[in-house]
Amino acid sequence: MNSTHNVLLASHGTEGAIAAENAALDVCAEGAMLRHFIVVPDFWKGMTGDDWLNNGSTRDQFTRYLETELSAEIDTHRARVRGKAEARNLRYSSEIVLGEPDKCLLAACDQGNYDVVVMGSPRPKGKPGLRSRMATKLLNKKLCVPVMVVPYPDAES
Amino acid sequence: MIYTKNSSALFIIGVIMLAIWYLTDAGLLAGYLEHLGHGKPYGHTNELTTMPLYFGVIAAVVGLWQWFGKHSAGHWDYYSSSIAGGMFILLIAMLVRWFIAPEVAVGSMLLGKVGDTGAYIHTLLGLNYVVMGIVTGIIIVNVFKVPAWAENGVRLSRLGLKTGVILLGTLYSAAELKNLGGLSIIMIGFFVLGSVGIVLWIGARRNISNSMGGVLSAGMGVCGVSATVAAAPVVQAKSVEIAYTIGTILLWGVGCMFVFPIIGNLLGMGHVQFGAWAGTGILNSAQVAGAALAFQPDGIETLKVAEIFNITRVLILPIIVLWLAVWYVRREGENAQKVNVGAVIFAKFPVFVLGFILMFALSTTGIFAPANHYKGKYFGNTAEQGFKDKSLLTAEQKATLQAESSKVQRVDQQAALSRLIENGKVMSIDDDDVLRGLVNAKVLSKDADHLLTGAHKAVRHTAKKVKAFRSWITWLFAFGLVGLGMQITVGAMKQAGGQPAVIGGIVGLLKAVLSLIVVMMLVSETV
Repeated sequence: MNSTHNVLLASHGTEGAIAAENAALDVCAEGAMLRHFIVVPDFWKGMTGDDWLNNGSTRDQFTRYLETELSAEIDTHRARVRGKAEARNLRYSSEIVLGEPDKCLLAACDQGNYDVVVMGSPRPKGKPGLRSRMATKLLNKKLCVPVMVVPYPDAES
Repeated sequence: MIYTKNSSALFIIGVIMLAIWYLTDAGLLAGYLEHLGHGKPYGHTNELTTMPLYFGVIAAVVGLWQWFGKHSAGHWDYYSSSIAGGMFILLIAMLVRWFIAPEVAVGSMLLGKVGDTGAYIHTLLGLNYVVMGIVTGIIIVNVFKVPAWAENGVRLSRLGLKTGVILLGTLYSAAELKNLGGLSIIMIGFFVLGSVGIVLWIGARRNISNSMGGVLSAGMGVCGVSATVAAAPVVQAKSVEIAYTIGTILLWGVGCMFVFPIIGNLLGMGHVQFGAWAGTGILNSAQVAGAALAFQPDGIETLKVAEIFNITRVLILPIIVLWLAVWYVRREGENAQKVNVGAVIFAKFPVFVLGFILMFALSTTGIFAPANHYKGKYFGNTAEQGFKDKSLLTAEQKATLQAESSKVQRVDQQAALSRLIENGKVMSIDDDDVLRGLVNAKVLSKDADHLLTGAHKAVRHTAKKVKAFRSWITWLFAFGLVGLGMQITVGAMKQAGGQPAVIGGIVGLLKAVLSLIVVMMLVSETV
């Protein structure tokens, strides 16, 4: 029987995060709290790059568009996890932050009293996806909560 | 929200600038500047004794107010919050231009010339203040992060670059603009449409989505990140597609900025050739300016050519965005948003190009330089026009030319030479052209040619305002490029990957190589 009542599911929208979702649900005890922690990597802030030719209105339109896209992706992501959690009678809450994934996770762990942190493993080479790691050396050194790193979906087989 | 921070940063920047001015003005830096000159007079003394004083006073005064003053939300607060970042960029541009780049040049010269190229390593690699300024910006944002008090001001770099392009309008003659404009329309038209077409063609074969094909073709074909930013919303690109595309373009752009000047130097390309190649072959518009100034740091002839190509690109951008929007709607049908043609054209039109055209129009009226100027230089053989009596040929010099006049066969050259000998100065712009032809024909002795060249220089003057514009343009571009460097993050570049990396690699390489071949075969050194 699972004894984890306070689980932090850390994801920032990668493929590996979906595998982590399922694992997090599996380790939760009956009625446990699943805190869904979503990091929007801060590299998005640099996504207008060195554009200088466009008018301010075009850049604003692009920024709003990108924010809307990312929000829609996160909403889909949250709705999926919430649906799965509620189907298992788990309590679900979520938090969205912008920043460096590992540092944001460390800060979140400092603020909460979690039994375990669940996250996906880094994307294998050759797999499409964004480059933004959560499982870093910094995290290994400083995280004081047990952590469960779930293998990438294809790597399991 | 209050944007202006109670920070000592701007005041400290002001103090550093004033210290630079004081140390130079008091002669305390004389030994170091002599070292940087490496046997020649140090080239930036005039700037060192003026700029840090003016900007230092402004930064120190405004900095004290920002540090201790009370700030409240409003327009003034927003604008004043950008001053610290602007001065931060300027200070970096100053340090790189006056000290770091010359120091690198000295080190490079001590290493000696590279093989049989006859050039020093810093010249071959284009390691000058422009490239080093951009690299410094990149290092700051990625290693140290742009400080919070400077974030708003870093955006001023775009204003700097656009103002630089607007002022550049004063330096073109009508003939030059016509010829360069024609060349750029042909080159850009061919390569933009070609790149867009190839991306869509390869994309269809690799089964990429319409949205990715759309955003990638704009980025690869027109002007890099700027085109991606403009096209992404109209083709409803997914976030990951945007990240891939921008990452790929930034990586390519930064790479090209270093590689293009090296190839240009190795091939011995002229300013027009290199400007045309960089303006066509480099995917990203910011790096076009960077590469042009990297190739020719002490002049702006290459930049003038490259920027005409940049302007042509940005003028084509609304048309390409509109075309992609229509293309996307047709492909996606009901899934796509309808396109408002007028709104797209209006929103994407580059307003600063109107400023460029206005400045060019003003320059043709003779407000900055006589209307007959060519590249800012004009003919004048009277005192009012800037001719100095000490430049008149002496009796001895006249005798030298007279003794050789029998060698001249052409009637027009004989007549022009006679008028020169008779009056001691070149008498008309036509005579000046004819005598230049005589020098180029190498009919006369070296001494005589030297006298003719001196007579030519005596009647060709650079307008004071144009000279000032050149200096401002150099600084505006240096300022703008350092600031743009601070907006190139490794995090964004690391996203290069997926299909955009493959397709971008193919199209980017094709574009660079084919445009190089076309430029070397068809573009001559004069326009």
